[in-house]
Amino acid sequence: MKLKSLNPELMPLNSMPAAKGYYYIPPFWGPMFLTRHEERILDGEEGLGQQKAMEILTALGKIFDAEKLIPINSAHLSGVSYKTIGEGGLQFLDSLKGEAQVRVKTTLNPAGMDLERWRDMGVNPHFADRQIAIIDSYRSLGVQTCCTCTPYLHHNVPRLGEHVAWAESNALSFVNSVIGARTNREGGPGALAAAIIGKTPLYGLHLEENRHPSVIVEADIGDDMLSHSLLGQVVGKKLGNAVPYFRGIDPDIDRLKTMAAAMAAAGAIALFHVEGVTPMDLEYELNDLERIEVDFSDIEEAKESLTSGKEPDLIALGCPHLSEVEMREIATLLETRERKRDIEVWFCTNRRVKELCPREVATLEKFGKVVCDTCMVVAPIEDHHECTGTNSAKACNYLPGLCSQKVVCDTTKGLLELIS
Amino acid sequence: MILEGRGISSGKAEGTALVLEEAFSFLGGVDPSSGKLTIDCHDESISGRILVFPMGRGSTVGSYVMLDLKIGGNSPLAIINTLAEPIVATGAVMAKIPMVDGIDISLIRTGDHVRVDADSGKIEIPNLKPVHVVTSILRNQQRVLILQRSDNVGSCQGMWAGISGYLEIGETAEQAAFREVSEEAGIDDPRLVRWGDPIAVRNEERVWIVHPFLFEVEKREIVTDWEHVDSAWISPIELRDYPAVPGLDEVFRRLNLL
Repeated sequence: MKLKSLNPELMPLNSMPAAKGYYYIPPFWGPMFLTRHEERILDGEEGLGQQKAMEILTALGKIFDAEKLIPINSAHLSGVSYKTIGEGGLQFLDSLKGEAQVRVKTTLNPAGMDLERWRDMGVNPHFADRQIAIIDSYRSLGVQTCCTCTPYLHHNVPRLGEHVAWAESNALSFVNSVIGARTNREGGPGALAAAIIGKTPLYGLHLEENRHPSVIVEADIGDDMLSHSLLGQVVGKKLGNAVPYFRGIDPDIDRLKTMAAAMAAAGAIALFHVEGVTPMDLEYELNDLERIEVDFSDIEEAKESLTSGKEPDLIALGCPHLSEVEMREIATLLETRERKRDIEVWFCTNRRVKELCPREVATLEKFGKVVCDTCMVVAPIEDHHECTGTNSAKACNYLPGLCSQKVVCDTTKGLLELIS
Repeated sequence: MILEGRGISSGKAEGTALVLEEAFSFLGGVDPSSGKLTIDCHDESISGRILVFPMGRGSTVGSYVMLDLKIGGNSPLAIINTLAEPIVATGAVMAKIPMVDGIDISLIRTGDHVRVDADSGKIEIPNLKPVHVVTSILRNQQRVLILQRSDNVGSCQGMWAGISGYLEIGETAEQAAFREVSEEAGIDDPRLVRWGDPIAVRNEERVWIVHPFLFEVEKREIVTDWEHVDSAWISPIELRDYPAVPGLDEVFRRLNLL
């Protein structure tokens, strides 16, 4: 008897085939079907760029035991900041220049700096030069260089039931959950390969059977943004990899996006449902599901556990990127106030939102910088800052490791009171 | 010896194996500018080696670290995994590092000379020779026989084992099992209950392909030969109390005894 192919993402490390041996029976893999055209691409008959992309897709297809490739309607790419992809990533992108073009609408995650006002941010010129080269490479592949983690609000809006290949954990969870499009948790290279071929391997969340709720979450929490972000933190940490079905909350778009982001950062959740809010296009069986409860005390505990600093020298809002609505809310909070303390403040958003609300931008600029194309997680903030205040559980997860920051986790209002 | 797996990233390579026993992350696990491992207990470089580990783990940035290693000339010549995962697999494809998975890496040792053919999904370890052996377990009323190997046998002296022996030329595993039970326990009419899938166990320059057999016997009297010094009829669960030859617990499992 042979084992069915194991999905490494779902497999806890301690149940892995032992390295020391003799327990391992090689898994059985079914072959992935490739059309004659796909075979030709793999053989390099359509050029090196497409061949490389097809090699990545077939490797992923083998790993996940996909039956075949299916067409996608859009892609969203991570792997943009020079801080994360480095010289290796840049050279790889350069090697595709002139060799490949994306075949579907493809957008880009935040870069390591505001592409226009990087000098204001204190980014060094070498970094800026390499960052701009990365953006140029993506542009030459036909990618829209909007640089945002919330393309689903303006730039790249999938439809219900559509197959897409998205990287960036908050974005892919949002389009899976709130929009009802279908994507796996792609990495940057996998999403780029899918964009170049216009297809992705059929497995995981593209298949209906994997989209059913696996656990019910009864939530009793406050209505503010931070509570929703921390709800995502608690659930992501507790469940790791699951499809939660929430009851007891009525989140708007912005609350959904911060929840999605936190769940994907604290755990590996790529799809969730909220009763009465997210699309219920498939019939789900909810009886017999395990239930967990999350209440005010869990939220408070999560907030404390994420807080490691006291006095932020940078306050950064906009993880995920601020929407128009959030820009207005913050502007309303600040309108009647005066700037009291000299702490660096970033309002991270994308260029489209910035253009859409000039009045709010003017208000916010009295207190800090409205920063586009980037965020506190992927910019090299460690060059200038030691402690960052944020209202995002996702940012709280990544700032200590990726940016060597101490973190103050607080509400938008609480953070803005530090400076006004 | 040739081991069959699955090609993940195409290409061929030949070199010296470096085996890591834990899941490995290129981000944090290796210095990208030198190829030196930064994980504990290893003062080794992955540069120019056939890098063998169970599977990848950690941040997706790991794929880009593999590109940095390649650019600096510090990448491994090839990668062998028990089970590929997306981070290392995409990194291997992007950096043009041949990669094979589906390999029982317990059969590979650091220092082995390994040929990797990721186009066919096979690896070859020329110095390693497979040797087919049988291991038979006798059972009587829910108790099974284990034997302590004498100091005169060729390997695993003093350890507890089943009734084991090499396949002779022209012999099937089943024939060998009956023969060994007769020679080593003096029982000529055991009833064959079942057999299990063979397991592979590395021992120095050999790989034992162990074919497990389970026999029911009517009495517990046995006549041992020079190969054994002691014997015991145990409940299968008691095996953990005996220092046993490598793989005997898995033999028990494949015979549905554990």
